[in-house]
Amino acid sequence: MDTSFPVPIAVFFCHQIDPDQDRNRRPLERELGSMIRFYPLPCSSRIGAGDLLKMVECGFKKIVLVTCPNGRCRYQVGNVRARKRSDLARKLVREIGCDPDLIATVVSESIPISIDTIVRQLLRDQKS
Amino acid sequence: MPGKYHIRAAPVPNRFPRISRSGILAWPEGCLGCNACVKKACIYGVYSESSDPGQVKGALDYLCQSCFRCIQSCPGRTLYKSLNPEYSALGDAYWTPEIVSGLWYQAETGKIPVSGAGYGGAFAGPGFDEMWTDMSEIVRPTRDGIHGREYINTSVDLGRKPKALEFDGQGRMTTPEASLVEIPLPIVFDLLPWSPLPDRIEQAILEGARQTGTLAVTATAPKEGGHRDHVILLLDDTEPPDRELVAGLKMVEIKDGPEVGARQAQLKEIDPSVVVSIRMTMSSESPYRARQLAEDGAEVLHVLANAWGREADGSGFFIKDRVKGIHLVLVECGMRDQVTLIAGGGIAMAEHVAKLIMCGADAASIDVPLLVAMECRACRRCAEGIECPIHLEDVDPAWGGARIRNLMAGWHSQLLEVLGAMGMREARRLRGEMGRSMLYEDLEREFFSTLTGKRN
Repeated sequence: MDTSFPVPIAVFFCHQIDPDQDRNRRPLERELGSMIRFYPLPCSSRIGAGDLLKMVECGFKKIVLVTCPNGRCRYQVGNVRARKRSDLARKLVREIGCDPDLIATVVSESIPISIDTIVRQLLRDQKS
Repeated sequence: MPGKYHIRAAPVPNRFPRISRSGILAWPEGCLGCNACVKKACIYGVYSESSDPGQVKGALDYLCQSCFRCIQSCPGRTLYKSLNPEYSALGDAYWTPEIVSGLWYQAETGKIPVSGAGYGGAFAGPGFDEMWTDMSEIVRPTRDGIHGREYINTSVDLGRKPKALEFDGQGRMTTPEASLVEIPLPIVFDLLPWSPLPDRIEQAILEGARQTGTLAVTATAPKEGGHRDHVILLLDDTEPPDRELVAGLKMVEIKDGPEVGARQAQLKEIDPSVVVSIRMTMSSESPYRARQLAEDGAEVLHVLANAWGREADGSGFFIKDRVKGIHLVLVECGMRDQVTLIAGGGIAMAEHVAKLIMCGADAASIDVPLLVAMECRACRRCAEGIECPIHLEDVDPAWGGARIRNLMAGWHSQLLEVLGAMGMREARRLRGEMGRSMLYEDLEREFFSTLTGKRN
């Protein structure tokens, strides 16, 4: 894979999106090694703005939060809350003078879908 | 009377936060700020990091005992409980998340994992789960616990024993002295089926073997030092054995093959006291091959299934069934007491050791649990060329050795429990005691054949 994309990258995602996430994310882990880190969550709302900022502090060049499609959250509003937290984190990053695009939210088009597909699409979009 | 064998365990902390079965979803947006926060009252301290009970903060999931008190009592209904995807991804269908987390607990504490009141799982399953052990001697609580006065011996001898002692006319024993290695628990450590760079991991395993008094199979024996007494050196069958390396070792292992008899003789010539083990891959031919090797003078047979306890040739035969077959063939030809049988592959819990011995093994060899003791997640990313998520290759050998010691302390205690419950005082006497077990397939046949006719 072309690694011209800014790395390292951290991907937080709701495991409802991809129940077989441990298997599906391995090809990308093999290709990018320690440059990509996956963090499966019980629900994307498990992540807080503070957690996202901590990832910025750790040196990740891209932090992605993948949520379930609208209306498909197991906890009804978890994905909405997750997006709010991501927005808050972006705002804080801007305030401290960094690029808010460090943090991105991706709404999955459907569930279940392979996390590998989502991340590869994201990498392609970023490059183009 | 010699001192009792006892593994002194001490807590060895994890390098990484424990992966809990479930996680708390706490939503600050819905918090009423009622200050009667249920999180404040959590008796397990799950929310202890939260300084202000009015604020929902990150929970220490691994402390949660799933009592659901917080979820039921929160007036704002801001708390949810969910399965942890990282937990579900541990291991595989054989090395289940429950087994992996149970091994972690034992490696951390050295204690027997207690699942609490009631058992929610199935009473039978494939592999070792279709075998139940006799616990008929549990008639009262033990007088003073498993480490009390009632001495239960778990040591076993590895090596070839004479069938009978012979004496000359003057009453002098003419039978040559047998070379035996006694290990204090019926477990040896085997090579790992997968692992990241093994240098430090191997050192940790040797350290664990030293602390527990057992032996570890390794392809590179240390030339000197305390670990040398705890090594089973696996020799390369393409080169002649290094005399300097072999001399003084307690035990060496060679791979089964057409020249195995000659190689054993060569090694015995270098050092007559060294015990030679023959490493065999488990297959349908194993019982007959074991008989042949025993008749040719083999001392120790080390039979290996794959990491899931199955035969590598794809027949799907499980280790306990094959070991039973080998044991019975050796009994039939009258050689069972002469040769030592070690079996390994798929040994995941302490009860598997006891069950394998009941099927006819003298001792069990373990591999994956040694890695799991060092927090391995049994994900096998290393085998696929992916970076180890916990960087096992950087493990501190002293820390790893202590974790393995703790795991063996937990397993030893469980062996004592099992033996005590069976009314046995010696692990040696457990060998081949199939009469003290019940097999699900036998029970099913016995009970349902009257209803359904012949059932196989």
